[in-house]
Amino acid sequence: MRTLRRTLRLRTARTALPVLAAVALLALFGGALAPQDPLAQDTAQLLHAPGGAHLLGTDYLGRDVLSRLLAGTGDSVAGAVEAVVAAMLLGIVPGIASLWLGRVFEWVSLRAVDALMTLPFTLFAIAAVGVFGNGLHQAMLALGVLLSPLFFRVTRAAALGFTQAQYVQAAELMGASRRWILRTHLWSKILPTVAVTTAHALATALLTVTSLTFLGVGVQPPAPTWGGMLASDLGFLAQQPWAPILPATLIMLTVGALNLLADAVRDAGAAGTEPARARTAAPAPAGRPHRAGPTEQPAPKEQADAPLPA
Amino acid sequence: MTALLVPAPARRGGRGRVLAARAARAPRGPARALLTTATVFLISSLITFGLGALSEANPGAAVLGETATPADIARMNHEFGLDRPLTEQFTSWLGHALGGDLGHSWFTTLPVADSIAAALPVDLSIAGLALLFAVLLGGAAGIAAARSNGGRLDLAVTGICSVLGTLPAFVIAIGLIAVLSVQAGLLPSGGYVPFGQDPGQWLRFAVLPALALSLDAAAGIARQLRTSLVGALRENYVTGAVMRGLPARRVLFGHVLRNAAGPAVTVLGMSVPMLIGGAVVTERIFNLPGIAQLSLQAAQQHDVPVIQGTLLVTVAVVLIANLAVDAGLLALNPAARRAAKSRPGEGSQP
Repeated sequence: MRTLRRTLRLRTARTALPVLAAVALLALFGGALAPQDPLAQDTAQLLHAPGGAHLLGTDYLGRDVLSRLLAGTGDSVAGAVEAVVAAMLLGIVPGIASLWLGRVFEWVSLRAVDALMTLPFTLFAIAAVGVFGNGLHQAMLALGVLLSPLFFRVTRAAALGFTQAQYVQAAELMGASRRWILRTHLWSKILPTVAVTTAHALATALLTVTSLTFLGVGVQPPAPTWGGMLASDLGFLAQQPWAPILPATLIMLTVGALNLLADAVRDAGAAGTEPARARTAAPAPAGRPHRAGPTEQPAPKEQADAPLPA
Repeated sequence: MTALLVPAPARRGGRGRVLAARAARAPRGPARALLTTATVFLISSLITFGLGALSEANPGAAVLGETATPADIARMNHEFGLDRPLTEQFTSWLGHALGGDLGHSWFTTLPVADSIAAALPVDLSIAGLALLFAVLLGGAAGIAAARSNGGRLDLAVTGICSVLGTLPAFVIAIGLIAVLSVQAGLLPSGGYVPFGQDPGQWLRFAVLPALALSLDAAAGIARQLRTSLVGALRENYVTGAVMRGLPARRVLFGHVLRNAAGPAVTVLGMSVPMLIGGAVVTERIFNLPGIAQLSLQAAQQHDVPVIQGTLLVTVAVVLIANLAVDAGLLALNPAARRAAKSRPGEGSQP
């Protein structure tokens, strides 16, 4: 809660949140807001410039670009959210469980995570669609599986850092149950880290969704999506070189706002809940020759996964 | 030179953070690295195989069409080996795969390995060129930003990197086509000539896709390099070198860059899966006969052996890139080399 309050005071968060709220509203009500049917073809006005009856012009089939943009937001955003929710379920639960379920589970889950991280998002989603049938759910669940290592690592690292805190060890010695420790001590400390990761994962998922819909994977034309609109604009760059700017700007604004928000939460949380973590968040170059000062504690995030059983 | 010694402002970044989170690991000693890589490859191949095994694809029915009798379909599936137990299918598939035989396509009956061998050079040559662009552009931008730390150039580089992080590669590709192909007419907007056939023509066709692919990785490299350079420039040995009267260029390239390049090299290695992932879309845009087109086509036909083959080969490429990054990190950094030797797996201990 303290992190949330502190986040809201940051200027970057105040810019990012309204943008994200607007995108969320578009995703929920975009279809209803659309002035015209996004699939209706006005053959008298093909590739029309903005203005007149069509506020943002028409595409190569004479469909209203504004309506398609508004109606296309839903699928793009819903897909990204679905993937991230799946990734959270698949990542956070085993991430915390790996602390307590013994070395075998730990080793297996870490290797599985390594393996998942070698698979490229788009190609794996295409493979999943090829095997399970073309649909947004198949593609997004596959993407969720590939994003889950992110949550697994981050949660595990954050929790690992705090299980060694003295108050947690004291609680353990007093006989507190793991569930109680998790609920009272760990969860509120892990939450800001999870929030940062969620924002980044949403941004990555959104970019992947647009790539997939661009290819016609998951959602097929003529249903409007941001990626699908870019795909159809590609063929008419000579006539309408400005057309891709509209969906591209929407993607850019949303992803940029997510990144800003993630940074804001990280900055707000870094002061209060992550005592040992360096503010720069760069992956510590391992074995860097510079001397660690006496006050410099080892950062839990980078080191948590280093001492593995061989 | 004093400009080099200003403390670092807070870092802003986009997708680089996801990359960095995926990248946070220590370089490993060679034996350990190979062991881990083998385990990871085994698990990835299990995932890849499981994808096919979980599907309810009935290739016999799909290949033979609607007029086939159930007996014909069963015979066809038997020929594909689909009536054997899954463990047996997996071991024979993996065994053959390790020997270079990825099976045959269900539809074209061509060997999958041959199709991939024809497509892979397209991707590797373009990804190689993209990596080169990424290193050159990202390296130059990162060094320039670190040197003007907090200055206008730094702000410009950081801003451009943030914007690039929010754009998918195909949007950049579309922008490049719109400007360089359609408006200026400088470069072709699609097509491909193999490098072996005509290197000049290859370059003409490869520049745009490689550039589109590289910008995201370049942004990641620039960000990482800037951060670690700014940190390294504050070290005592830099002050020492400056006081000894060494020229700024020699301090930067001879001392600092070597110490600061580690995270950037890690990000470079981690961007290989991203390059291949982005390649799917750029291949479609630029009409390149690469591995992603193969996979996309196979996905439309539910051609499971081709899907599995492309995924497995991709994983192998990524793992080899990771090994190369480990080797690079060890070569760059003597301390990591010692750490990897003395205490495997805990290289980040000082």
